Amino acid sequence: MMAAMRALGAHLRAHLAVMMQYRGEVLLWSVWGIVNPAVLYAMWSAAAESSGSHEIASYDRAGLAAYFLVMMIVGHATGAWDVYQMGHFVRTGVLSPMLLHPVLPMWRSLAENIAYKVVTLMFVIPIWIGFAWLVGPAFKATAWEYLLGTIALFLGAALAYLLSYAISLIAFWAPKLDALGEIYFALCMFLGGRFVPIAALPDSIAGLARVMPFRWMYQFPTELLIGGRVGFRDTLIGLGLQIVWLTFSFVLFRTLWFAGLKRYTAVSG
Amino acid sequence: MTRALSLISVFVRVSVQNFAAYRFEFFVRMFVSVGHLLAELLAVQTIFKNTPEIRGWQKEHMLVLVGVFRMIAGGIRMVIVPNMRRVMEDIRNGTLDYVLLKPLDAQFHVSIREFVIWRVTDLVLGGSLAIYGSYLTLHTVPFDKFILFILMMVAAFTIVYAIWLALAAICFWLIRLENIEMLFWNVFEAGRFPVQIYPAWLQTGLTYIFPLAFIVTFPAASLLGISGKGITPTMPAIAFLVGLIAIILASMLFRIGLRRYAGASA
Repeated sequence: MMAAMRALGAHLRAHLAVMMQYRGEVLLWSVWGIVNPAVLYAMWSAAAESSGSHEIASYDRAGLAAYFLVMMIVGHATGAWDVYQMGHFVRTGVLSPMLLHPVLPMWRSLAENIAYKVVTLMFVIPIWIGFAWLVGPAFKATAWEYLLGTIALFLGAALAYLLSYAISLIAFWAPKLDALGEIYFALCMFLGGRFVPIAALPDSIAGLARVMPFRWMYQFPTELLIGGRVGFRDTLIGLGLQIVWLTFSFVLFRTLWFAGLKRYTAVSG
Repeated sequence: MTRALSLISVFVRVSVQNFAAYRFEFFVRMFVSVGHLLAELLAVQTIFKNTPEIRGWQKEHMLVLVGVFRMIAGGIRMVIVPNMRRVMEDIRNGTLDYVLLKPLDAQFHVSIREFVIWRVTDLVLGGSLAIYGSYLTLHTVPFDKFILFILMMVAAFTIVYAIWLALAAICFWLIRLENIEMLFWNVFEAGRFPVQIYPAWLQTGLTYIFPLAFIVTFPAASLLGISGKGITPTMPAIAFLVGLIAIILASMLFRIGLRRYAGASA
């Protein structure tokens, strides 16, 4: 564990330097995380106008503004792209040299992930502020909700990273399944509440979303940070379920990783 | 002209042969195309579960828009993306030399080298959905609307091609910027919905500065033939004018950039 932490630190420094070097490119990637929620805000606030109650899933215009603003931040914190890359790594053997390192390749990917999020903060924070100024979001969060919401945000980010990494390991069995990333993305979009709060989905999809892990990455921290939406009891249950899913993802990762590695030697052999 | 057409047909034939060698891929890809469409239909279903209309667009109208969006996105990935990615790579690596050596107009040559044939599924699926939505709205698909729609789509693809050509040309200057195409995708994302959902200043921007309205919203509106969605009788003429201006500017930029290009040795 100590070795892994030292490796993480070293990789982090290296990747921070790389990200700074390629800041132009990194900026272009990070802007997508702004555009998508902004477009959805425009669409849903226009939809709310003609919805009769002037609300979507009990969010009025200013509520939707807050929802999609916080979703930008949550989306930034939860971003992970291993599920798009692993198929390529396995197919082309890029993974092989990574396996020679004395620590798991996941630490390297985690360092890259954190470095990206830290470096891009300097672009996205001004845009978040600009968006907030433009749309006038309504926040009701108390200090407690901000505190618990921030914890939920970090737990959600950890869950998003670990679960997507575990799922990316399907690439050991299906290295040509390029659609894996897109399928995972669509699940996060609809079942996580990134497209719209889950209550607004068609009933069958909403029912599915309630039992899946994705809402704990996106909608749960978002609603906590907006405030006045999640009761104290539900907050504690939510935080507990985040930890349950995190543990599940860890076990899934361990199982798939060691089973997959056995296959990988066979693939490259 | 006949020479140009025969060259295009040669490149298309090569792409078809490459594609035919991996037929199983096609079925996997088709599955992905259908998946994309289902996700987009789920989005439409969700929107209209919550509201009867958005700024004058009802469910059937939105089906047309989703279909058009899929056609444009598919067309871009079938013809424009593979070629423009390749030319950007050639500029960075210096391998554009091989293009310049050929007795052919460089811009024409770099635009027709590769075709991703299986993307036809996007055109077929998107087109069918657009026609279906139009039929639900009008209970028939009038021939004149259909012709207008085809013209608007031609103009839309011209504009998209011009934008991508300009992005490729920018690579002559900003060689290190590898994902410059994200500039396009970031704005294109806004085209998933009609431009009318945006505030007025943004609508103007998306019509005349980055003409997204001409790429998705107006072609969809032309198939619906409903006034009040920004479609007027003069619209195809304006669309062609925008396309013409865009393509002239983009070719000029590409030619100026080409003069900067110093080759592999630089």
